[in-house]
Amino acid sequence: MSEPTYRYLNKAAPRTEDYRLLTGHGRYLDDIEIPGALHVCFVRSPHAHARIVSIDTQGAAQMPGIVTVVTGRELAQWTNPMRVAPPVEGLLPVEFATLPVDVARFQGDPVACVVATDRYLAEDAAEQVTVEFEPLPAVTDMWQSLDPNAVQVDPAVPGNLVSHQTYSHGDPESVNRHAFRIVEAIFHQQRQTHVPIETRGCAAVWDAGRDHLTFHIGTQVPHPLRTQLAQRLKLSESQVSVISPDVGGSFGQKIALYREELTVAALAGYLKRPVRWREDRLENLTAAASSREDFCRSRAAVDEHGTLLALDLELREDFGAYCFFPANYLARVVAMILSGPYRLQDYSFDVKVVLSHKCGNAPMRAPMSITSWVMDGTMDAIARELKLDPVEVRRRNLLSPEELPYRTATGEWLADITPSETFEAVVAAFDYRAFRERQQAAWQAGRYLGLGLCNVVEPTTYGSRFYKAAGIPGSGHEASWIRIEPSGAVNASVGLGPSGQGYESAMANAVAEGLGVHPSSVRIHMGHTDVAPYGMGSRGARSGTAGGGALYLCALDARRKVLAIAAGWPDIPDAESLRLIDARIERLNGNEWIDTGLTLVDVARRAYLDPTALPQGLAPGLEFHLTYDPPPMTYSNSAHGCEVEVDVSTGAIRIARYVIAEDCGTLLNPTVVEGQQHGAVAMGLSGALFEHMRYDETGQNVTGSLADYLIATSTELPNLEIIPLHTPSRATAAGIKGMAEGGVMGALGALTNAVNDALAPFGVVADRHPLTPMLLRDLLRDKL
Amino acid sequence: MAKTVIYLDVNGVRHEVHCEPRKLLSDVLREDCRLTGTHVGCEHGVCGACTVLINDRPARACLAYAVQMDEARIMTIEAVAQDGRLSPLQQALHECHGLQCGFCTPGIVMTFEAYLRENPSPSEAEVREALSGNLCRCTGYQNIVRAILLAAERLRAETADV
Repeated sequence: MSEPTYRYLNKAAPRTEDYRLLTGHGRYLDDIEIPGALHVCFVRSPHAHARIVSIDTQGAAQMPGIVTVVTGRELAQWTNPMRVAPPVEGLLPVEFATLPVDVARFQGDPVACVVATDRYLAEDAAEQVTVEFEPLPAVTDMWQSLDPNAVQVDPAVPGNLVSHQTYSHGDPESVNRHAFRIVEAIFHQQRQTHVPIETRGCAAVWDAGRDHLTFHIGTQVPHPLRTQLAQRLKLSESQVSVISPDVGGSFGQKIALYREELTVAALAGYLKRPVRWREDRLENLTAAASSREDFCRSRAAVDEHGTLLALDLELREDFGAYCFFPANYLARVVAMILSGPYRLQDYSFDVKVVLSHKCGNAPMRAPMSITSWVMDGTMDAIARELKLDPVEVRRRNLLSPEELPYRTATGEWLADITPSETFEAVVAAFDYRAFRERQQAAWQAGRYLGLGLCNVVEPTTYGSRFYKAAGIPGSGHEASWIRIEPSGAVNASVGLGPSGQGYESAMANAVAEGLGVHPSSVRIHMGHTDVAPYGMGSRGARSGTAGGGALYLCALDARRKVLAIAAGWPDIPDAESLRLIDARIERLNGNEWIDTGLTLVDVARRAYLDPTALPQGLAPGLEFHLTYDPPPMTYSNSAHGCEVEVDVSTGAIRIARYVIAEDCGTLLNPTVVEGQQHGAVAMGLSGALFEHMRYDETGQNVTGSLADYLIATSTELPNLEIIPLHTPSRATAAGIKGMAEGGVMGALGALTNAVNDALAPFGVVADRHPLTPMLLRDLLRDKL
Repeated sequence: MAKTVIYLDVNGVRHEVHCEPRKLLSDVLREDCRLTGTHVGCEHGVCGACTVLINDRPARACLAYAVQMDEARIMTIEAVAQDGRLSPLQQALHECHGLQCGFCTPGIVMTFEAYLRENPSPSEAEVREALSGNLCRCTGYQNIVRAILLAAERLRAETADV
């Protein structure tokens, strides 16, 4: 296919948002001054599961600076409960109040809220709220939750099984019966949390004259959040504005409307005074949202050469105590995309999601993170059991270019992906044969090197047809507007919610490319619902394809009108023979483009100040609006290779080298894409090596500080080598595919497979994260 | 709680601050001096986002009470760029894409404005060691390290020119 040449896309450029962030002039939630704002502090349950017998707020309410203390009873009058009940087969509907009235379900569950003139005073008073709890037995482990005699977390969820979905395609059972071998592998991914460096927070301002709420909050989804906020507060959507300022990271944690945020909004309306909340780190780690905590067992039917014939997946996920999202949603994606770039038609899965007395889950960058580890870990298990080379096993099972596009066993359509190219690029980068020789030589010297490989097919953009097929009400479209001002300046907006991904730069490129102006003349406005069009916000890796696509297509509309207006000047040819380039209008003269002397400024002036001179049929002004619904799903693909050395006497892992080959189509800005690749791999490695949200057997969270919940620092992460590929999607605007989560997926698999390759001489396999020195030493004890 | 009067020299400006003895330096800088570039990420001294220079040395503003800082000279992120011009370190962070959400960035800039004065020729390993006191969740650190090394090189060249 012939690739269009872009003027601004696919070209690296530093970001325009940097200056304010580098100089301390960023404007994050807590930097917004709101005169007279009150501060809240939440009183939280110290028990994992307890009946709330009584709450005595008298003492606290009389302390200096205290305005009021409220509990779930007041909130229940002011707000509607949260109901999560999409009509999805196998998923139970759940409902919960804004603050619990009768029962606290995890340690950190908010049960009362203190409002004071200052944050310090609010915290003082929170300590004086006396809550009488009657502790109840708790379930803190997913296997315990599934026990028939387990304590119930939610009365509406019998047996704690909130979602159970099964699927079968082809005839895996009969294939299994005739297979040479059934290879089984297991994978435990531990509970984690997002750790944005800026915690959650919000500020609510109630305008009593207009009956209008302005809600400042760092969010990925300004409009959907506004819709939800209005519904929960019993307000119309025209009574609520959501403003998302600079956001200090989100990673999936800033999508849901959390109970604390709703409480703050309700209090502003009740008190008719501005109210704000800044979460502290203890709250963020213990009570914001958790993620992951999956168990997977794969059973692969293979022939004697390692050809994958059939696969069965058993997946169990612990969703915590509250469902801020449909509980099936994350695990189902894992099951749906499991086979990734591998040939597989006979496939079945059984996915159970359970509730427990822990902080509730939210998607975290790559909610399907375990997928590629499971699949490529299975490939390694096949190689180990059949004593085959892991590279050869992958080659045998990878979809070849001739087999693409490919309909997977779950009905997904894989098109315009390049899995064998990315895989071979990584294998070549490591000089695989030479590595095996080095590895052998190192063994002789008592050193243990390992090479891990992982192939990733990353689902990036979920279109409306995906949601429809999944039975989930909702849309995958995105919305944009562009306004060329009378001066020729270009303002544009999209419904995304940026949280550090450089959208102001990347989206300006999409507009610049479509319209024909320099990116520096385009200003992107996001995060204010009175300004931005109603889009679905930022989640998954949809922003590039859906948001960038919406702006690019809108810019093409704008360009058409600009050229049509230009064609109205005397001696200027038809619009078809004109183009706009860096805001200058050029005409085709033979095979050559020559300057007309007209610029975008001339056209804009006519559109606004002399509209009677416009060609017939053209309306005044230069304002454009467009919504764009991307394909049901877009995929990008990558291969990851990681070389490690394991110190078998201490269990320490050193990452010696890390290579990625990634194909994510047309790039809005390669600088931003590289940053996303780094960040995604870093989050994956950090999770696989260190992170662990731990609860003791009574349900006490024992990882409430950043000294206990460890994330990777600069000394533990490697430099990444990136091999870029750019196969555009033929199904999206400008060939954009999206990316930013696949790095997490690949990192889990590549690192773990590398560690297991290093441990191979001892006949042990690490099947769980985090890969701590303690875990490795446990495996190696008595083996050295 | 009774308030105490203290005097802080912040970015060359003398501030008279009336605050409770328990008020953190980070909160005083943000709320009383209205310099919100110093970010608060953990309030327990691990993340490093609130790093400022106290009498030229980097320190966590969330681990100090403002009253301990009476008459101290404090420099925050707002004073690093001069007349709208980024410092060589800030410029390198921009060019190398060494920041994404930007929340941890002021702490990193303050840490390394001081560090590069003490160690103008650090190795990559030394930069990584010094950077390990600042948590970043977006970048994986690679481009931050690259930026610091580039800034060090440019600063050395500047010094050699003089």
